[in-house]
Amino acid sequence: MSTPELSSRDWLGKASAGLILGFALSLGLSGLLAAAIGVGDTYFSTRGQLTMWVIAPLWCGILSFCFLFRSGRGAWLWLGAAAAAVWFALFLMGRLS
Amino acid sequence: MKLRPDIVRMYKEIHGWVGIVSGLALFIAFYAGAITMFEVPLQRWASPPSGLAAPVPLERTPELVRAVLAAHPEAAEDYDVHLAVGPEQPARVSWQPHEEGGDHGTHRTFYAALAPDGSLQVEEKGPSPVAQFVDILHQQVGLPFSHEVAMPIMGAIALLYAIALISGIIVLLPSLVADLFALRIGRNLKRMWLDLHNVLGVLSLPFHLIMALTAVVFAFHDQFYDAQGLTFARADARPPAVARAAAPERPVLTPAEAVRRLAVEAPGFTPTTLSYGERPDGTPTLRAAGHDPRYGLRASTYGFAGLDPHTGEIVMSDYMPGRQDGWGATITSFFALHFGNFGGSGIRWSYFLLGLAGAFLFYTGNLLWVESRRKRQRKLPSVEQTRSTRILGALTVGVPLGCIAGISVTVAAAKPLGLATSEGLHAAIYYAVFLAFAAWALWRGAARAGIELLPATAAAMLLIPVATLTSLGRHPASEPLVDLVALAAAAILILARRAAVARARSSPRDSIWALPASRARTELRVQEEQA
Repeated sequence: MSTPELSSRDWLGKASAGLILGFALSLGLSGLLAAAIGVGDTYFSTRGQLTMWVIAPLWCGILSFCFLFRSGRGAWLWLGAAAAAVWFALFLMGRLS
Repeated sequence: MKLRPDIVRMYKEIHGWVGIVSGLALFIAFYAGAITMFEVPLQRWASPPSGLAAPVPLERTPELVRAVLAAHPEAAEDYDVHLAVGPEQPARVSWQPHEEGGDHGTHRTFYAALAPDGSLQVEEKGPSPVAQFVDILHQQVGLPFSHEVAMPIMGAIALLYAIALISGIIVLLPSLVADLFALRIGRNLKRMWLDLHNVLGVLSLPFHLIMALTAVVFAFHDQFYDAQGLTFARADARPPAVARAAAPERPVLTPAEAVRRLAVEAPGFTPTTLSYGERPDGTPTLRAAGHDPRYGLRASTYGFAGLDPHTGEIVMSDYMPGRQDGWGATITSFFALHFGNFGGSGIRWSYFLLGLAGAFLFYTGNLLWVESRRKRQRKLPSVEQTRSTRILGALTVGVPLGCIAGISVTVAAAKPLGLATSEGLHAAIYYAVFLAFAAWALWRGAARAGIELLPATAAAMLLIPVATLTSLGRHPASEPLVDLVALAAAAILILARRAAVARARSSPRDSIWALPASRARTELRVQEEQA
C-alpha cells in the first residue's frame, strides 16, 4: 500500500486544527489528570497547578505533530474525535461544571 | 535514523517558516534573558547612592516601622522589611500602596529610613529600574506594548518556537550522527552556518525545550486557569475559615526575632525579605522570602514561606525551597529550570552562555533562511535579491545589533541619570537606539549595515565602563565584573566586524553580504568577459 506523500501545502487546515482542537484536547486531558491525581477544589493547590502546566507540553506536541495528518480535513476529524471522546469521558465522570 | 523523505521535506519547510517568523523576537528574548541572569549584580552596578540615611540596624526596625505606620497607615496592609540592604536595596523598609490596575499594574514603591535625628524619611527614589527594564524586555520579547497586549504575542512566538524545535529535530534526525560533530569550516559558508546551527540546536535542546514550554505557560497561565475554571466542576473553594477566637492583642514577632526563629527552624534558608501584612479582617500575616542554594526557587531570585506572625512557626511551605512536597517541588522545578536559580553562580554563568548561544542560534537560523532564498532565486533569470529577502537580511543585522546596542546604552545611562532615572526613560533610550539601528540597516542594506553597525555596537558596549569611570565621584564603582564583561563583548564585536569586512569582499555578487561596490565590480568583469 502506498501512502500519499505528505507536504506542507495544507498547512493552514492542519495548523488550525492543532491550534484550536489541540487546545480543546489538551484542556480535556488536563481535566482527566486532575481527576486522576485528585484535584478537587478551586484552591490554588500545587496539584491544581500541575494540571495547568501539562496543557503546555500537550498543546505544543499536538501543534508540532498535527502536520503528520494526511490533510487538514483529517486533522480536524481525528483531533475532533479525540477531543470529543475526552470531553465525553469528563462528562460521564461528572467532572464538568 | 530513517524517516520518510517527504516528512523530512515537509518539516524542513515548516521549520523555515516558523523560524523566520519568530527568530528576531526570540533573539531579543534570549539576549535580554541572558542578561537577567545577573539582574541583581546589574542592579547593584546601576543603582545610585540613595538619598536616604543609612538603613537602621535590624534590631531598631520596629522603631522605623512605628514611624512609617504613624505617617502612612495604609502601609500596614503590606510592607516589606529588607534583611539584605545595599545599593540595590537601599532601604530597610518599603511598601507598595494598593492600587487599582490588577496583578500586573505598575506599582509605586516607597522607601523609608530614619534620619540621624530619629525623624522619618520617605522617598520614591529607589534602586535603579534598569535591570527590571531588561527583564521586562525579555518577558515581552522586545515589544513596547502593555503587558496585556505583549504577553499573548509572546505566547504565540513561544508556540512557534516549540514547533521550530520539534521540526528542527525531525529534519536533522536522518543525518544526526553524520552531521552533529561535523563543523565544516571552509569555502562553503552556508554549510558552516548550517553545521553551527545544528550543533547549537542539538546540544542545547533540553534548555530550549524547557524555555519553550515554560514560556507558553508564562504567557497563557491566566487563560489556562480560566478555561479550567470555566469548564471543570470544583468543590467549594477554600475550606471555610476556622472561626478564630478573637485573639487578644498578641505581639507580632519583630524582624530580628523572626530571623532568629527561622535560623533554628530552617537552617540553610537565607531570608532576604520579611513581608508583614493584614488580612481583610485585620489579623496579621508574615511571609519570609529567601533562598537556599541547595534548591531551586519558585520566583526568579527567591522562594517563600508563610510564618505564624506570633510564633514564627512555618505554617505554609508550598513555595519554600527544601520544604515542598512532591507536587510543589515539581512545579517549582519548572520555574527554577527557566530562571536558572539553582546551584549558585556556576549555573547562572551556564545559563548566561546558553542564553547567548540561543540568541546566536536564532541569528544563524535567519542567515540560513536568507541564504536558501538566494539559492532558490539564483535559478531564476535575475540574480538580484528580491525585496523581501533584502529586508529580512537587513533586519537580521539591524534587529540583533540594535537590541545589543540599545541595552548597552540604556544600562550605561543609569549612571549619569542617577536618581533622575525611571523605567520609562530607560525604555525611551532603548527603543530610540534599537529603532535607529534597525532603520539604518534597512537603509544601508545588510552588508554595509553590518560593517557600520558592528563598531557602533562595540562603542555602545564601551559606554558601560566609560559611565563607570566618569561618574566615580558621584557614584562609587561596584560590581567591576559588569564593566569587564562589557569590555570583552566590545572586543568580540570588533572581531566580528573584521570577519564581516572580509566576507563582503569575497562574497558572490548576488549575496546580500556583498557590498554594492563589489557587486558593481563583478558586473563590470562579467561584461568584460562577455565582450
